[in-house]
Amino acid sequence: MPIMAPTGDGRLPLAAPREPIIRLADVNAYYGTRLAVRDVSMEIRPNAITAIIGPSGSGKSTLLRCIDRMHEIVPHARVTGRIEYRGIDIYDDAVDPAAVRRSIGMVFQQPNPFPTMSIADNVSAPARFNGLVRGKGVERDLVERCLRAAALWDEVKDKLQQSGSSLSGGQQQRLCIARALAMAPDVLLMDEPCSALDPVATLQVEQLMLELKRAYTIVIVTHNMQQASRVSDRTAFFTLGEDGAGHLVEEGPTGQIFTAPRERLTEDYISGRFG
Amino acid sequence: MSTLTTANAQRDFRAALRRRGGVSGDLIFRLLAGAAVVVAVGTIGLMIVDSLVAAAPVFRAFGIWGFVTGLRWAPSFAIYGALPFIYGTFVTSVIALLVAVPVAVGIAILVTEVLPPHAARPVAIAVDLLAAVPSVVWGLWGLLVLVPFIRPIEQAVAGSLGQVVPFVGPPTPGPSYFAAGLVVAFMIIPIVAAVTREVFATTPRLQREAVLALGGTRWDVVRQVVIPLGRTGLLAAVILGLGRAIGETIAVTLVIGNATRIGGSIFAPGFTLASVIANEFNEATEELHPEALIALGIVLLAIAVLINGVGVAIRRRFERGLARAR
Amino acid sequence: MLADAALVLRPTSSARRARARLVVGLAWLTLLIALVPLVAIAGYLIANGVGVLSPAFLLEDPPGDLSAVGGGIRNALFGTIEMTGTAVAIAVPIGLLIAVFNAEIGGRLAVGVRFIVDVVAALPSIVVGIFVYEVVVVAQGHFSGLAGSVALAVIMLPLIVVSTEEMLRLTPRPVAEAVRALGLSRWRSYASVLIPTAFSGIVTGVLLAISRAVGETAPLIFTALGNNFFSADLGEPMQALPLLIYRNALNSAFPAARDRAMGAALVLVALVLALNVLGRWIVARRQLTGR
Repeated sequence: MPIMAPTGDGRLPLAAPREPIIRLADVNAYYGTRLAVRDVSMEIRPNAITAIIGPSGSGKSTLLRCIDRMHEIVPHARVTGRIEYRGIDIYDDAVDPAAVRRSIGMVFQQPNPFPTMSIADNVSAPARFNGLVRGKGVERDLVERCLRAAALWDEVKDKLQQSGSSLSGGQQQRLCIARALAMAPDVLLMDEPCSALDPVATLQVEQLMLELKRAYTIVIVTHNMQQASRVSDRTAFFTLGEDGAGHLVEEGPTGQIFTAPRERLTEDYISGRFG
Repeated sequence: MSTLTTANAQRDFRAALRRRGGVSGDLIFRLLAGAAVVVAVGTIGLMIVDSLVAAAPVFRAFGIWGFVTGLRWAPSFAIYGALPFIYGTFVTSVIALLVAVPVAVGIAILVTEVLPPHAARPVAIAVDLLAAVPSVVWGLWGLLVLVPFIRPIEQAVAGSLGQVVPFVGPPTPGPSYFAAGLVVAFMIIPIVAAVTREVFATTPRLQREAVLALGGTRWDVVRQVVIPLGRTGLLAAVILGLGRAIGETIAVTLVIGNATRIGGSIFAPGFTLASVIANEFNEATEELHPEALIALGIVLLAIAVLINGVGVAIRRRFERGLARAR
Repeated sequence: MLADAALVLRPTSSARRARARLVVGLAWLTLLIALVPLVAIAGYLIANGVGVLSPAFLLEDPPGDLSAVGGGIRNALFGTIEMTGTAVAIAVPIGLLIAVFNAEIGGRLAVGVRFIVDVVAALPSIVVGIFVYEVVVVAQGHFSGLAGSVALAVIMLPLIVVSTEEMLRLTPRPVAEAVRALGLSRWRSYASVLIPTAFSGIVTGVLLAISRAVGETAPLIFTALGNNFFSADLGEPMQALPLLIYRNALNSAFPAARDRAMGAALVLVALVLALNVLGRWIVARRQLTGR
C-alpha cells in the first residue's frame, strides 16, 4: 500500500529517530482564569505512536489541542510555557497558527466530514484551498493516495461523488484521517478517535495507525488502556490533581508503563483501582 | 386508630377532593379563553370578508386577471389596473434586497466569526436599534436628506451608464424607485441580519474546528462551512426580509415620487401597492376609486400571504435539517 | 514568520492572507453601511429637532394651517397615548387568553390558531388599516380614535400572543410540575402561578409591542384619520404623533411644517427608544436575577 511521503511537501528530512519532534516545556493551559493543565514537560518521538491516557477530565484532550494551537479557539483560552516543533516555538508571536495546523494535523473524537461535499471533495478540498494541489489530475491522484493510505479506497472508490455523510461511522473517521493526510502533515494528533466507533471499526483504525507511524508521528489520546497498550510505543499518564488541573504523572515506553510503572498513581490506574 | 379512618375525616377528605378550586371557575376560564380566540379569529375573518365584498365590484368590472394586469390607473375615467403598482412593489423590493442581503450577511459574519463575544453584543444591539426607527421617521429623513443626497449620483449614473444599460437611465427627479428601495433596505437590514446571525450561530462547532484544524483561515471557515450549511436558513431570512419590504408604506410614500405609471428606470418616480393606497385613500371620491384601492389591498394581501407561506415552509425545512444533523 | 519557521511550517500565502483581510474588511464595510443611516438620522433629528422642542411645543396644539409657525404637538401626543392605551386594553387580555388557550388546548386547534396569528403578524400594516376601516369606520359612519385603537390592537396582538406563549413555554420545570402536583385548577394555576412567573417576560413582550404600535402610521391614516384640533374623544377622529409627522412631512416645503415634523419625530423616536430600552432592561434583569 503506497504511503504518503512524509513531511510537508517533501522539503523536510525525516527527523532523527532519537531526537524529539515535539518538545513541551512547562506548559500550562487555561480556560479564562481556570487552570486546566498544569506544568507539562514531555517529548514526542518521531515515527512513533505516543498514547496519552488517564481518567476523564485529566486534561488529556486539552493538552493535545495545545499542540496544534486549537486550544486558543475557545474565547479566553490561553497557553503558557513552550511547545517546540522541530525546534520552532509554535507559540511565538511571529508564527501563524494556521501554518502550525498544516503541519500538525488532527482527527477528532466525533467524525466530522463536511456534509455538503462529496467523498472526493472532502479529501481534496482542504488541500485545494491551502494551495497544495493544482489541477484536476493532481487532485484525483491525491484523493486516491490518501484514501489508500487511510485504508478506505477499496470501499469507496466506486462512490467518490457521494456525500461524505453517507458512510458508516468507521468509514467517516477513516475519511477524516484521509483528509488530514491530504495536508501532508508531519504529525497526526488523534483525540479519542475510536470512542464513537464499533469494535470492528476500532480495530481497522488501530491497524491503520500502526501502518501510518512508519511515515508519520502520531499522538493519540485515549481512555482505553488496552488500546494504548496495543498500539503505542510510548505512553504518558495524566491525572486530575486536587487543584482541579490535570498534570503529567509519568511518561515512558509503553511496555514499562504497563508492567513496571514508577509512580504509585500510575500503578493504581493501570490496575483499575480508580478512573 | 388513625384519624383518617374516622367517618368525619373521610367525609372531609372527599369534600376536599371535590372542592378543587371551583369547577365553575375552571369552566368560566375555559369559556373566556375560547371566547378570546373566537373573537379574535372572528374579527379577522369578518375583516377579510368585508374587504372582499367591498372590492368585489372592481373585480367584477375588470375581471381578476384584467385588474391585476391592467396598465392604466385613471380614477377620473373609472379605469383601474394594478400592474404599475405591482411593478413598483417588485422593483422597490428587489432593490431593497440587493442592498440589504449582502449587508446583513456581512454583519452576520462579522458578529459570529470575526468579533470576540464582548464586542459582538453591542454591535448586534446597535443593528437591532435600526429596527426601532419608525417608518415615518425613515420617510422624513429619506425625503429631506437621502433624496437630495443621491440625486447627483443618480444623475451621474443616468447620464453615463444609463445611456447604454437599460433601467438606469433618466429621468431623475429625485424621488424614485431607487430611493424607496434604498430606504426600505435600511429598514429590513436588522431583521435579515438577526435571522442570518441565528443561522450562522447554528453552524456545528465540530465543522468549524475541522476546517481550522486543517489549516484554514477564518475566511475558509465561512466559505467552506458556515455559508454552505446555512444556505436554507439564509433563504428563509431573505424571504422574511422580502415580506417586510413589500409591506412598507409610509417611508415609501414619502420618497417614491408618486407616479401612477410604470417607470422605465429605477430612477423614475412610481408607486407601490402599499404607498398608492396610503396616498389616495382619503381623497378617493371618484366612482369605484375607494373600492379599487381596497382591491389593491387584497392583491397586496395575497402576495404577502404567499411570500409568508413560502418563508415558513423554507424555515421549517431548515429546522428539520438542523434536527437531522444533530 | 521567523526565518526557520518559514522553512519548517507552511505559512499562509500572501494572496490568501490578502483575501482573508479583504473579506473581513468588507464585513466591516457592511456594518458601516448599516450604521451610517442610524447615526445620520440621529444626528439630523437632534440637530434640527432640539431647537424646536420646548414646553410650549409639548403643551400646545398645532395651528390649523400647517405652514404657520408656532404651535405644538399636544393633540398628537395625547392621541398617541390614548389610542395606544386603548389598544393595550384590547390586545393584552385577548392576547394573554389566546396564548393560554394554545398552551392548554394544544393539538390541532392550537396549530390552527397559531397559523392564523402568524398570518396576522405578516399582514402589511396598511392592509390592517383597510380591514379595520371596513369593519369599524364603515359601521360607525365616520373615522374615530376607536377605529385607530382597534387597528393598533390588531397589530399588537400577534406580538403579544407569540411572546406570551414563548414565556409560558419557558416556565421552569419545577414550577410547572409543582402546579400539577398540587392539583390546582387550571384557572388558578395560570392566575396565581404561571402568569406571574412569566410576568416580566410578558411585560417585555407588551412593551415591545407598544413600541411598535406607537410608531405605526399606515393603519391610522384611514381609521383615526388625524385631527388638527385637540380631541380626547375616541368617537371622533384623533391625532397621533406619526400622523402629525406624516402630514407635516408632506408639507415640508414650508419651513414651519418641516420644523414641526422634526420636533415631533425627535419626541417619537425618544419614546420608542425608551420603550425598547425598558423592555431590554427588564429582560437583562431577569436573566441576572432569574425573575
